[in-house]
Parts: sequence; structure tokens; C-alpha cells
Amino acid sequence: MIIVNYIASVVLIALGFYVIVSKKHLIKIVIGMSIVDYGINLFIVSTGFNEGGTAPIYKMSEFFRGSYFVDPVPQALTLTSIVIGACVDAMALSLVIKLYKQYHTADSDEIRRLRG
Amino acid sequence: MEYLKIIFNILVFPGCLFVGAVGLLLAGLDRKVLARMQKRVGPPVIQPLYDFLKLLGKETIVPKAANRKVFLAAPVVGFSALVVTALFLPVLGYRAFEGSADLIVLLYLLTIPAVALIVGGSSSGNPYAGIGISREMVTVMSYELPLICIMLAVARKVGGSSLCFSLSEIAAYQQANGSLLGSVALMPAAVAMLLVIPAEVGTQPFDVAEAETEILEGPLIEYSGAPLAVFKLNTAMKMYIMTTLFSALFLGGLATGVTALDALIQVLLCIALTLICITTVHAVTARLKVEHLFKFYWTVVAGLSALSLVLVWLGF
Amino acid sequence: MMSYIHFPVIAMMTLFLGAFLTVVFGRKSQAVRVFLALLSSGIAFCLICALIKPVLIDGEVISYWMGNWSPVEGYAIGIGYEVDALGLFFALITVFTVLLSCVYSIRYMERDSSLDFYYVLFLMLSGSVLGLVLTGDVFNMFIMIEIMTFTSVGLAAFRNNRAGSVEAGFKYLVIGSLGSSMTLFGVAILYGNCHTLNMAQLSSILAGKLTPSTVMAFALMFTGLAVKSYIVPFHTPAADAYTTAPASISMVFSGMVNKAGVYGMIRLTYMIFRAMDKSSVQLLMVIFGVITMFVGVTMALAQHDFKRLLAFHSISQIGYVITAAGLGSALGLTAGLFHAMNHTLFKGLLFLCAGAVFYATGTTNLDRLGGLSKKMPKTTICFLIGAFSISGLPPFNGFASKWLVYQAVYEKAVTSGNIFYAFATVAAVVVSVMTLASFIKVTQAVFFGQLPAALEDTREVPALMRLPMWIMSCLCVLTGVFYDQVSKWLLMPAANATLNVSDYIDKMMGEGYAAGAGVVNIPAFAPRFSFWNPVLWLLLFVIVLAAFCLAIIGSKGDRAQISAAPEDAVDGKYATFFSGEKSLPSHVSGSDLFWGFKKNWKGYFKVMDDIHSGRVNDYALYVVAAAALVTVFMFGFVR
Repeated sequence: MIIVNYIASVVLIALGFYVIVSKKHLIKIVIGMSIVDYGINLFIVSTGFNEGGTAPIYKMSEFFRGSYFVDPVPQALTLTSIVIGACVDAMALSLVIKLYKQYHTADSDEIRRLRG
Repeated sequence: MEYLKIIFNILVFPGCLFVGAVGLLLAGLDRKVLARMQKRVGPPVIQPLYDFLKLLGKETIVPKAANRKVFLAAPVVGFSALVVTALFLPVLGYRAFEGSADLIVLLYLLTIPAVALIVGGSSSGNPYAGIGISREMVTVMSYELPLICIMLAVARKVGGSSLCFSLSEIAAYQQANGSLLGSVALMPAAVAMLLVIPAEVGTQPFDVAEAETEILEGPLIEYSGAPLAVFKLNTAMKMYIMTTLFSALFLGGLATGVTALDALIQVLLCIALTLICITTVHAVTARLKVEHLFKFYWTVVAGLSALSLVLVWLGF
Repeated sequence: MMSYIHFPVIAMMTLFLGAFLTVVFGRKSQAVRVFLALLSSGIAFCLICALIKPVLIDGEVISYWMGNWSPVEGYAIGIGYEVDALGLFFALITVFTVLLSCVYSIRYMERDSSLDFYYVLFLMLSGSVLGLVLTGDVFNMFIMIEIMTFTSVGLAAFRNNRAGSVEAGFKYLVIGSLGSSMTLFGVAILYGNCHTLNMAQLSSILAGKLTPSTVMAFALMFTGLAVKSYIVPFHTPAADAYTTAPASISMVFSGMVNKAGVYGMIRLTYMIFRAMDKSSVQLLMVIFGVITMFVGVTMALAQHDFKRLLAFHSISQIGYVITAAGLGSALGLTAGLFHAMNHTLFKGLLFLCAGAVFYATGTTNLDRLGGLSKKMPKTTICFLIGAFSISGLPPFNGFASKWLVYQAVYEKAVTSGNIFYAFATVAAVVVSVMTLASFIKVTQAVFFGQLPAALEDTREVPALMRLPMWIMSCLCVLTGVFYDQVSKWLLMPAANATLNVSDYIDKMMGEGYAAGAGVVNIPAFAPRFSFWNPVLWLLLFVIVLAAFCLAIIGSKGDRAQISAAPEDAVDGKYATFFSGEKSLPSHVSGSDLFWGFKKNWKGYFKVMDDIHSGRVNDYALYVVAAAALVTVFMFGFVR
């Protein structure tokens, strides 16, 4: 239970939301999306922490009932989430490049052809 | 034997012939009394029947820009929906088909003739018809809101703490407890319904969709011959159906049990209601513009029916 | 012959495998691509249909642990796939939509390039939605949501040579990833509390025990899945994406993708948290539903683009589903599921008609179309069937499901004594009338009226595109007329399975687990349909129609005749009437209709126009603000 990690992750998520809502430049919005992802990843991996536990890597012979290790499941979830975050960034940035070519601007105030 | 009875019900009473005849009678009486109110002599009471027969003999012309199938099918669809509706409304105690009437279903069936008029007008390809259908649709939107509030209020009053949308239960309730017109909570709803009837039927001041002087009868502009006759018949039948619905909802409890006597009393009630809410209102008002019509229905009439709903909810 | 237990996973993997094989083999040849797509969607369809007998008819729940990692000492350690009647209901909708869309795309997409990307994305989208509705693991559901989001973004931006496509894709990605992030955050909190990701085990642990952290998880997951269902105020990317995506994909979006969001919400509230008996949660869902209905339909009345109008109607109809499912009663859930199924059918049909119009004329702008019923009569008939279904006219399927929704909402009003639900019923009926108005507008603007000179040489669309439209029209009519059969075989098992979670939990975790965690069974429910016997009414309708047609046709001869314009008629009595003035073709287009209504509501429409500003920051603000409101509401009222 690392309080600092939890507070930091919530701060990151809130910052990310703030960036998405208030920044006009499209790349900044993409960075904001990434910050949200990082905050959530930090949160997930922190939920698995057990104080004083070892890394969850054992040979079958070393493994017994009282073994104390950190939870491996959130680590798997975090890896998956990191990969997803990377893919979202890649897709978003490629869309931004295409948008820039079409609209000649990366300002979200100008990219508003579909509205109403 | 059963099938013979069903066919009799569909074709004669209370189906095509009865509804058509009473509808045309109501339309004729409406014109005659209106004329007398305006110090004219007016046409004979069976004038609508003469018009109907005359139109059946005229040539039907389908314009080049029209979609032929939809153009010719629209009036018949409207007519069928009205006959089906009439079969499920009780004639003061006589019910042709037991246990199948439901207020929500009736509400939807009543929109079908309006939609038939709209689709028929739209398919004729005439721009005057386009304006007419736009006004007709706004009229339908206007009166549906108060109508649903009225039906919900009546359903709650009759049902108490369980759901009741069935016309037979409403009739039974009124037979036991006296007509719903007498209850304080439903008076505003009755007044609202009296104001909804002229809009459904399409008489002044709510006939902006078929404004003869402005848009040359709107959706009906390209119709001639038998389809036009059917549309005029539909309007007449709607007069009967709306007044019967009002008497079923608010004036129940008058059934005598003898079918012929019931039919006679029902016709008299319909005549009285027509004279009150259609003819008198027609005689003393001018046509409303469509935006004023919408505002009127969504403020005054909806307010009355919502008031009724709240009063019923509070237990009056 | 392998046991049917393996069918769910095989069906899902077939679609993914089809996508992979299309990348490998489908680069050059269209025939290979079409063959692979049809094969995979066909196999998935057959496999899911083969599950109807065990799951829907016999009432069995299929449980499948990936890699055979069964629970150890009452703890789920593997990823489980569980198919109960609710999951199979949505899976059937999914594979049906995918198959029809595949058939439609064969001719519809032939003028586009890079079709290998199209088929890959399409098959991955289908696989991900199928996986979403069949899975029993909450993180697996999140993964499927992510795959769904990516592929949807790719498909929305597919026609990147048309204006607005890439913009729509970008907005969809930002808002969609906001929703997914919130869902992931909720899943993480749940894991931190319960140390399991399996839905059955979560359901028995969370059993009405709502600590502050689980309430936070509930609020976050609720909002995240609501973003995927596109209810107001999360609906903004949906309007853009449905417009720019190709019509076969719009049909899949509106028929399948937002149903996946609805499925997620039903699973979350009814099963994982079992919170649907709390009146606060019911009120929250119904409020969302009513606002969605109303905003969707009023925005639709102001649109100038055919597909954007259909998109807003999609949003409005999902409002009906959420309202009905949020009532917490068995009748409400049945009504919601029925409307979800009918929505797929009639909205899919309408989008396919819009696609046909686009294929034939090259535009979907309502102000430039008109009079197409003379050139495309078969499409017109299909469109009219779809329009009457969505407006809820008898005897089509929209009427049956909307009628059930009204009954369910008003019954809730009467039994709970809360007048808010009575006004919700009124709102539902008014929204239905406005839906009718909107479709009258589209019919007048696109199919009737006068044909502009630019569209003189449009032709009817090819038969392969008409086939899915005909299939859906027939189903619209059949499910409307025989709806008691639909209810008995499809809806009642699904609703009962949702309300009775103990079967689900027992099958997954072992016998007796549910009882040990205190989950009780509710007796099976059968809705009352006594007042509306559509077969009888249809017979009456037909009899009356026939009688009158005979009367008209019978009076032949000199007295009455029907004259229609011969092909070479120049002018004279067959021209439309213009009061004697010679005028140019003057067509009452879509934007000119309903002037009276729009004038009265000018202020509202101006506000709504400003709200839908098109800026991605504003849309993100609505999502974050609504998430905050939902969280505050849950902390305040959900006990």
C-alpha cells in the first residue's frame, strides 16, 4: 500500500484530463491522452505491491505454501496496458499527421468541419 | 357462423358502413349548423354523401411526378386503419371484439391516417403538398403530447396502483363509479380532449394543414376521383371516432344493454360533442398559423392535461 | 464432432484468423478477400446459431476456461468465457449484423481503394465485439473494448479523401480512449479490492457490499461503458463517425458496437454489482435515458445530412433501451432487450438504404436530393418499412417494443408512486412522434418530391446490395407480427438469465458457490401480451384493404377510371399544379420542413448548435464533467 504512488497516479490522471480538455494543439491533446494512460498504469502496478515480498519468479522446487511475493497479475495487466497506450499514441499521431496535411493547421479550433 | 358474425362486424356494424354513415352524418350536420350559426341556409345534411358519390364517378388522374403505387395506396391505408380503430372502440357497451382494446394501441392507430395523408401528399410531388405535409406533421406533433397525458391520467385514475390501459376496464370502472367527467381531477383533461378533437379532425382554427385559401388543400392538391372521395370519407370517420373515444373515456356508464338503443344513444352523444367542440369552435374562430398552433397546444392544452395528471397522482 | 463448449471461442477466433489471413493472402485479389470475409463471418454465424439449442432452449450456461485453468480453491485464476442467454442474445445480433454487412460490402465498397485494410479492420471489429459479449472476465472485456475502439477509428477514417473523415476518426479516438481509460481505472480498483478479474467471482464477492472504493469503481466503469454506448453527453463522436464511415460500417456501428456498450452496462449493473434493485441507480439510468432520447431526436430534426440524421436517431433509440433496462424490473429489461434487437434491424436497414442512395447518387446532402422514388423504387419500399418501424407504427417491430417500453415505464411509475416516471413515459411518446416527423422529413426530402436535374440518370442499386435490405425488412415485419414468439424464445431466457445470476456463478466457479455467497434466485417471469394480438389485427387490416380495393377496382367502365401519365406525356393534365404559373422545379427540401416547430424552439436549437461545436476539447469536457457528476451522485446516493 504505497500512498505516494496512488496520489501520484491520481494527480497524473487529473493532469491528463486537464490537458485534453484545455489545450488546443492536437499533439498536446495526444500527450494528454498518454499522461492519463501512464497514471492508470502506475495505479495498476501499485495495487499489486505486498510489503517485503519478493519478485514472483520461482522454480517449482523453490515454491511452497508460505512463499511471499508481490502479485504478478497487475504486472501482466500493466504490460498489456502499456502496449495499448503505445498503440493509441501511434494511431493518434498518424491521424494528426493526416489532419495536418488536409487542414494545414493543428489547432482544434480550426478542425471543426463536422458540427451542429 | 362465427366468421359470418366477424364479417358482419367488419363490414356493417360497427365497421365500414356504420362508421361511414355516422361520419358523413356528423360532417353534414356540422356544415348545416355552422351555416345556420353564420346566418346562411347551408347545404342539406346529406351533402357529404352526395359529394362522396359524385367523386366516385370522376376520373382519377395520377400526375407524372408522383409515385403511383404510394399515391393510390395512401387513402386506402388510412381508411383501413380507421375501420380497424372503429372496430375496437365500444359503442356504449357493445364491443365487437372482446379484450383487445388498449389505449396506447389506439393512440398509435390514430396516427396512421395522419401519416397516410402525409405520405400520400408527399408522393404526389407537388410543392404545395410539401408545405401542407410539413404543417400536418407539426399539427400531429402538437396534439400528441396532450393526448398522451390525458390517456395516462385516465389510466392512473382507473387503475389505482396497478397498470390499466384497457378500455373495457375503464368502461367497467365508470359503470361502477359514475362517469369520469364528474371527477374533479379529470375535468382539465376533459377540456383538453375537447380541444384536441378539432385538431385531429382538421377543422378551424386548427386546419392550417389543409388551408384552402393558402395552399390549395395542401396534401390533397393532386388527388381527384375515388382516392379523394376516400380521403374525405376518412376525415368524416375521424369525427365519429374521436367523439366516440371521448365518450368512452369520459362519459361512460350510460350503457343500457340493448345494442340498438346503445347505438342510438352513442350517435346522439357524438352529434352533441361534434356541435360543441367542432362546430361552435369553427364558427367563432379564425385559422391559427402553424407556429401559434404548436405553441397553443404545447402550453395551454398540455398544461391542462399535465395538471390533470398531477392531480390524479396526488390522489384526487 | 467436438462438443459445443468450444464453439464460442472458435467463433471469435475464426473472425480474428480471417483478419490475419486477409493480411497474408488478400493483398492483391479482391476475390480472395471477399471469400475469406464471407467464410469467416459465415462460420461464426453458424457456430453461434448452433448454440441456440443448448443455451436458449435448454437453459444451459456454457463455461469455458482458456488453457483449462480452472478455479483453484474457489479462486478464479484463468480467463473464462461464459455464454448465458443474455450473452448469446447479443452474440446472435452481432454475427447476424456482421454477415449482412459483409454481403452488402461486396458491391458497395467496390469503388474504394485499399480494400484489404477495410476487410482486416472489419473482421477484427467483428471479432472484438463477439469476444466482448462472450467473455466472462472483466479485463478481457476491456481488451475487447480497446480493439473495438481502434478498429472503429480506422473504419470511421477509412474514406480519408472525403471531407471530415479523419477529423471524425480523431475525435472518436480521443473520446473513446477517455472512456476506455475510465473503464480500466475502474477495473484496477476492483482488482485491488477483490483480487480477482472473473465476473462471476466478482459478483459473489461484491454482493451488495459497497465500500467507498467499490463505489468509485462502479462510477468509473459505469461512465466508461456509457461512453461506449454513446448516450448523451458522450454521444458526440458517434454522430461524426456514423456520418463519415462507409454505410456498411455505419450499420455495424449502430447495430453492434453501441449494443456492446449496452451489454456492458447491463452486465455491470445487473450482474457484477447487482445494484439494480437500488432506486438511486435506477433513477440515474432512467435520467440518462430520457435526456438521451430527447436530445437525440431534437438534434436529428435540425440536420442536413442523411447519415448524420440517422446517427442522431441511433443515439435517441439507445436512450429508449437504457431507459427500459434501467428500470430494474423484468418487464423493463425485456422491453429494453427487445428494443435493442429491433433497433439493430431497422436502423441497419435505414443505414443500408442511405448507403444505397450514396452509391447511386454520390451525395447524402438532404438539400440536394429529391424524387428518388421514381428511379429507386425498391430502395424506397425498404426505406419506408424502416421508417415506419422506427416511428413505431403498427404492425412493425418498432411498435411492439416501444409499446412494451411505455408499459414498463408507466408500470414503474404506478408501482413506485414516483411521478417522474410518468413524465418519462410522456417524453418517450413525444420523442416517438418527433421521430416520425423526422422520417417524414427525410422521405419527402430524398424519395418524394421533385427530381433535381443533376440526378436524372440514377439507377437502382445492384441486387447483392438489395438482398440484405430485403432480409432486414422481412425480419422487421415478422418480429413485429410474431413478437410473442420472439419474446418466448429469445427475450425471456435472456431477461431471466440476467436477473438470476446464481446459474452463471455456479457454472463458472463450481456448484454451490453462489449459495455460499448469498445469491438468491428470482422466479421466472413471463410478460403479459394480452391486449395486442397482431395476427388478428393484420387479418382485419388485410380484409378491410381487400374489400375496399375490390370496391374501387370493381367500378370500372365509363364512370370511374384511373389515368396515369404515359411515358411520352409532355404537359397538360399530368403536370403538377402550380396555380397556372409556369415555374421552375420547386422542391420542398428537407430543411424547409417543420418551420413552425423550429421557430418555437429557436433558443433551444441555438444552444444545442453551440454545444455541438465540433471542438474535441469541448467534447472531452462533457465526458469529464459527466463522469464527475456520476461519481458525486454515486457517492451521495448509492448505499
